[in-house]
Amino acid sequence: MKIPESGTMEDGPNSAPHNGQLGPSGVGTSSSSVKVNNSDENNPRLQYSIPGILHFIQHEWARFEMERSQWEVERAELQARIAFLQGERKGQENLKNDLVRRIKMLEYALKQERAKYHKLKYGTELQQGDVKPPIFEDGIGGEPVDGESIFITNSNVNWRQGRQLLRQYLQEIGYTDTIIDVRSNRVRSLLGLNPAGTSEKEDQTGGSALNGGATGGTVGGTAGGSAVASSSPGDLSGNSKRLSETQGRRAPAKKVPPASLAEAMIMDTEAAVMANFDFLAQEGVGVEVDDEDDMSDEMEDNTDDDADDAASASNAATSKRNKIKAKNLRDDVDAETEEVLNEFSFLGSDTDDASHELRVQTDTTDWGFSGTSSGGVSRRSVIPAPVTGPAPAGIGAAGETAHLAGLAGLSSSDDEGVDGHLGLGELAQLTVNNEAEVSYDISVNKESFRKTWNAKYTLRSHFDGVRALAFHPVEPVLVTASEDCTLKLWNLQKTIPAKKSASLDVEPVYTFRGHTGPVLCLAMSSSGEQCFSGGLDGSLQCWNIPGSNIDPYDSYDPSVLSNSLLGHTDAVWGLSLHSQKLHLLSSSADGSVRLWNPQSKSPLLSVFTSESDGIPTSVDFVRDNLNQMVTSYNSAACILFDLETGQPVTRLETDKGVEDSVFGRQINRVISHPTLPLTITAHEDRHIRFYDNNTGKLAHAMVAHLDAVTCLAVDPNGLYLLSGSHDCSIRLWNLENKTCVQEITSHRKKFDESIFDVAFHPSKPFIASAGADALAKVFV
Amino acid sequence: MADVECRTERRNRPGTKTVEYYRWPEELFEEMDSTLAVQQYIQQLIRKDFTAIDEILKAPDSQDEGVWKYEHLRQFCMELNGIAVKLQNECHPESCTQMTATDQWIFLCAAHKTPKECPAIDYTRHTLDGAACLLNSNKYFPSRISIKESSVAKLGSVCRRVYRIFSHAYFHHRNLFDEFENETFLCRRFTEFVTKYNLMSKEILIVPIFEEVDTSGFIGHAAESEAYGRMEKLSEG
Ligand SMILES: [Zn+2]
Ligand SMILES: [Zn+2]
Repeated sequence: MKIPESGTMEDGPNSAPHNGQLGPSGVGTSSSSVKVNNSDENNPRLQYSIPGILHFIQHEWARFEMERSQWEVERAELQARIAFLQGERKGQENLKNDLVRRIKMLEYALKQERAKYHKLKYGTELQQGDVKPPIFEDGIGGEPVDGESIFITNSNVNWRQGRQLLRQYLQEIGYTDTIIDVRSNRVRSLLGLNPAGTSEKEDQTGGSALNGGATGGTVGGTAGGSAVASSSPGDLSGNSKRLSETQGRRAPAKKVPPASLAEAMIMDTEAAVMANFDFLAQEGVGVEVDDEDDMSDEMEDNTDDDADDAASASNAATSKRNKIKAKNLRDDVDAETEEVLNEFSFLGSDTDDASHELRVQTDTTDWGFSGTSSGGVSRRSVIPAPVTGPAPAGIGAAGETAHLAGLAGLSSSDDEGVDGHLGLGELAQLTVNNEAEVSYDISVNKESFRKTWNAKYTLRSHFDGVRALAFHPVEPVLVTASEDCTLKLWNLQKTIPAKKSASLDVEPVYTFRGHTGPVLCLAMSSSGEQCFSGGLDGSLQCWNIPGSNIDPYDSYDPSVLSNSLLGHTDAVWGLSLHSQKLHLLSSSADGSVRLWNPQSKSPLLSVFTSESDGIPTSVDFVRDNLNQMVTSYNSAACILFDLETGQPVTRLETDKGVEDSVFGRQINRVISHPTLPLTITAHEDRHIRFYDNNTGKLAHAMVAHLDAVTCLAVDPNGLYLLSGSHDCSIRLWNLENKTCVQEITSHRKKFDESIFDVAFHPSKPFIASAGADALAKVFV
Repeated sequence: MADVECRTERRNRPGTKTVEYYRWPEELFEEMDSTLAVQQYIQQLIRKDFTAIDEILKAPDSQDEGVWKYEHLRQFCMELNGIAVKLQNECHPESCTQMTATDQWIFLCAAHKTPKECPAIDYTRHTLDGAACLLNSNKYFPSRISIKESSVAKLGSVCRRVYRIFSHAYFHHRNLFDEFENETFLCRRFTEFVTKYNLMSKEILIVPIFEEVDTSGFIGHAAESEAYGRMEKLSEG
């Protein structure tokens, strides 16, 4: 970006060509062009013509205009960047203030407790000095670092979400308390913030008991309860004192007593922010625990082993407890933890001046990670890289790191020292987290599908097992069908605010009543206006789906149930809709598969039976050849029929393994690949099998679950397969290499059944599962 | 179907015939290790003999009573769908403009922000939908293994509301009611249930299901269901 220092354009690179064309025409006509053409003075004088001059002036003007607009764009970009950075900093400040405030409150409570204890034990008031409730407004005054007032706002919501996300990530990769503790300790020591010796020395709470007159605590960094601490209280603002208290063991040991007040404050703030972020990292595990509880835990941890025997009795008790805790921690350093520590060794080996170096790198890119993370990756080359990934392993992993960091909202970009430290702390954490994930999800090869699905919505309202579900083609809306004889319509945008829970509860917007027995299957039309359901009593109902914004307690509209398709004489178990015209296939325990045109006066178009093959269990249109359908049977047969002639076209090869399987020969579900001539079947014998429609040959078979596979769904692009099983889990498969990308335990068992159906949203990133536990869940 | 015999897995696999649905060897309550054991057990008893009301309502030893009541109420609300489906065909807002049983009371529908004088069919649907939401609410009933006392207290009002569906059907759609009651014994079971667990006071149990029986002059529950059965047969004949 070329921002001119003066009004002249001497070194504008664009000026040269013009001069060549027009010669030193500007001389005498415009002061600016005089200078522009300095370089041409050695040219022979040319004759000027009015058109030439005019042309030159126009040209120059156009050029200036263009450059001006470029600068404006650049300025706007920079302003946006500034705003972004300011917002980010503000967010961090708010977080810091919030945490500091909590700490103050807890500390106050602790002091009161201590006083109470002391009084109970010795019968005298504990001389703690002026124990007064923390005044939060202090937070505003105490901003020595930037001199800019920060407002205490309620915008912590974002941070909470960020933390939630981080927690989820940590949980998913199986982080334990121990590892997180060890890791954050390790990071801290790498940063030189917490050399082992320090923790022995400082103890701000012990200090407070000792100091008596002081509001409690030591001034940042000086060893516990020294004279320096007690001498300064009057001068320091309340806030910075409290800050110093909060940072406790994170205070760098090598810190000398601060030369000036301002310096002390800066150090305090720095350390406090560090402390806050460590707290974040540590908090990452206890999801169920309230924030307050977490805080108190943290406080306990902070009251570290204390060499100061003069501490009050209560304090002694605390530190004893913590000693035990610390011991347990050490004992818990198992193999896994050791591995984690090893991961860190690469950091330790060459980044003595890590904080500085990393900070510099951090500022170079948007995500602020490229240099570091790729460095990390190269050092970690022992870790298996994504197997089939098109991109070099290093790049993929680096991108992932940045991605993760971005998600967690932790991209650091400020050039203050504080942020540099933060950057490393979080970076180190995230890099390692990410690595764990890489080795876990080895099979994932595309960045876009590095996505990890998380349960987001829980659909509770059915009284009995949910047998089927279907998404609306475009809206975040779905219909569920249950053994409780009803179908329900759900709008995922209408959630109930839930406390304490990461997932949202949804209440149905409409209940379809018409079946008098359990509803077993469901299909949604490609317009999203109709759905069809089959029941245990052999009925087949057609419904007009009400708008998803209907009032759940509106008056009854009989036209929702448009008509019933009569013909089946036993339970209807399978439904499939043609993707272009409104034709419906149904399979029934009466042995027949029927083709319907629900809108016609005589809706039944044809009946397909194959008595020797048993009872049809599931049916689907062949998606790449809509003149065919594929039907699975409880005899392990699977047949492609021509819809016109009603004749079998291809009989899919029966796997030898099925013939004498102890699990039975039943095929529970058959689906057709959306674009390829591929049929996929879900078997009671725990297998998923893939068939080539053209040859009928078994293309691939795999044991997919720990129990019967009950349901299948292929994503709209045909790249991923979702399967559900009575082993209570759903699994996502990469269709290309048939590897499991993710497994989610989703539902509980009722009798020996667990999961009945799974689905992909046709156009939105939702997947869903339906279970015997009367719940449906939607994952994002 | 063959798989039921060769394996003891209790499953309704796709393709199962209507008559085979849930037709598997009974499972002892003590052997049910699912979190849904109480529901499984209640449904098993109902499938075995829906007229055996006392047996159905008899909680296993050491069964938490709150959960027992809760699961029974879930089952009632679920089965009441059957009567709602029948009412949808017969109970029109033009003819049944209000939720009434006898002419003494007009019931206001509590599903709305301010209670509303919904037509009987809407009252029925709204009440069942509202009950479904409440009984599935993560706030009040987060677990199906243990239930807070404060939430158990909510069961009574659900009972009172859904009972009005029985009473409306009985007093305004008697044929429909009788047909449904014959198939399910649901009103009898419900009446017995709310009486046994003191969920409703006797005065508001206005469907005269006990009086009819009482006139036949028997005492004791064991004979009750049989007596009902006989009554129904007589009335049908
Ligand atoms: Zn009516
Ligand atoms: Zn209403």
